[in-house]
Amino acid sequence: MQRLLLLLPTTTYRTHDFLDAARTLGVEVVCASDEPSTFEAHAPDNLLTLDFADPDAAAAKVAALADRRPLSAVVGVDDLTAVAAAAIAERLGLRASGRAAVAAARDKYQMRQCLAAAGVPIPRFRRIALKDDPFLAARGVAFPCVLKPLALSASRGVIRANNVDQFIAAFRRIVALLARDDVEASGDAAQFLLAEEYLPGIEVALEGLLIGGTFHALALFDKPDPLEGPFFEETIYVTPSRLPAATQAAIERVSADACAALGLGEGPVHAELRVNNDGPWVLEVAARSIGGLCSRTLRFGTGMTLEEIILRHALGWPIASLARERRPAGVMMIPIPRAGRLAAVRGTEAAGAVAGVEEVAITAHVGQDVVPLPEGWQYLGFIFARAETPAAVEAALRDAHARLSFEIA
Amino acid sequence: MSDDLKGRVQELIDTMINPAVAGHGGFVELIDVQDNRVYLQMGGGCQGCGAADITLKSGIERLIKEEIPEVAEVLDTTDHSSGTNPYYQAGKA
Repeated sequence: MQRLLLLLPTTTYRTHDFLDAARTLGVEVVCASDEPSTFEAHAPDNLLTLDFADPDAAAAKVAALADRRPLSAVVGVDDLTAVAAAAIAERLGLRASGRAAVAAARDKYQMRQCLAAAGVPIPRFRRIALKDDPFLAARGVAFPCVLKPLALSASRGVIRANNVDQFIAAFRRIVALLARDDVEASGDAAQFLLAEEYLPGIEVALEGLLIGGTFHALALFDKPDPLEGPFFEETIYVTPSRLPAATQAAIERVSADACAALGLGEGPVHAELRVNNDGPWVLEVAARSIGGLCSRTLRFGTGMTLEEIILRHALGWPIASLARERRPAGVMMIPIPRAGRLAAVRGTEAAGAVAGVEEVAITAHVGQDVVPLPEGWQYLGFIFARAETPAAVEAALRDAHARLSFEIA
Repeated sequence: MSDDLKGRVQELIDTMINPAVAGHGGFVELIDVQDNRVYLQMGGGCQGCGAADITLKSGIERLIKEEIPEVAEVLDTTDHSSGTNPYYQAGKA
């Protein structure tokens, strides 16, 4: 039986769906996490602890394991594990994008440098040291602009500034965020932030798979809620896109160009783009699949999940079809309206009863301290819907969300 | 036969599984054994934990199958959304 190594942080939403996919494929799973499992001593060949922030050490530890029990594939399930997975794959000769390319995609400044050099359309950008004086730093940027940390995900720490005062406030807020105990930032990511031009327009997300250097678009999601700041909270994703076919083709083209510019060649990619009258602009290209539980909106071929496709690709197994099912689908990431302690959740049954809604997954637990953007990085839960049209999917998600209430004390 | 199997699974839970998960404030209860499938419920720090699936599949199921080879599968019946004190809390990274 082939052995698959999954890099699963203790804090990821993705564990269940990847383990389900591995079970469906019938492969033996080795789980590596950032904290020890209570069963690690009982199953040392199948459970291990890795420091994902130290890819060399992680690769050395896995190489020692693979000497005893060879591995057929390695998959990192999110941003926190992407570089470590690439380092392990490189060391063991497994199928994945090169480590340097994945590391470049993980650092928003390096990524923009690569994309700019290749002529991929991106906003104008500038890296600023956190030790710099924010008032002086603000003099070097045009407004409106967006400030963001170099390596956080899920819009965490992304703040729009329309003037110098807002720039200084946003700058200080990001400095404070990066100092929080629950933020893992090291190297440049702990010393710099990025300021970039704010681009008006709509935003989309493109899910893709790279096979032998060729980009295959899997799903293009519209984000119907305007993302204009001051924070950029992601809420509704709906696929297929309602954009004109020519625009969708342009989005796929620049995303493929971005992957090529970074040197990404194998595995899942998740791209975020702005689209306006000048065409698509790449905001992010991550060497991972879509985050949260959002992949549950996607089914391919005769019902294959996104995770099955990713694992099949990593294992070098055939994939019958990369075509997404025809039925429109969508997800709403339920935002945290304000900081506090979650005291009660009401209306879950009523939300689930909305026509088209397939699942209402409340992932925050009663008693949990919840933190909204820009400091937060979690959601209260996820709503999933399928319907005859993208508009009906969006309406179902909004209706279901309106039936939920969250008591935050 | 099924009672015997249940007894052996319960003994494993008492002697090996619960002492292990207790380290994270968790516990596991045997709900039933049907057609060589073991149905469990997780509580305490395991309920709603971001690593509960790893614990179940790579820890508990592996251990039970090693010790009791006739067990075909271990299934989780836990309502993880009702967990109030998970050891690890998931987030979008």
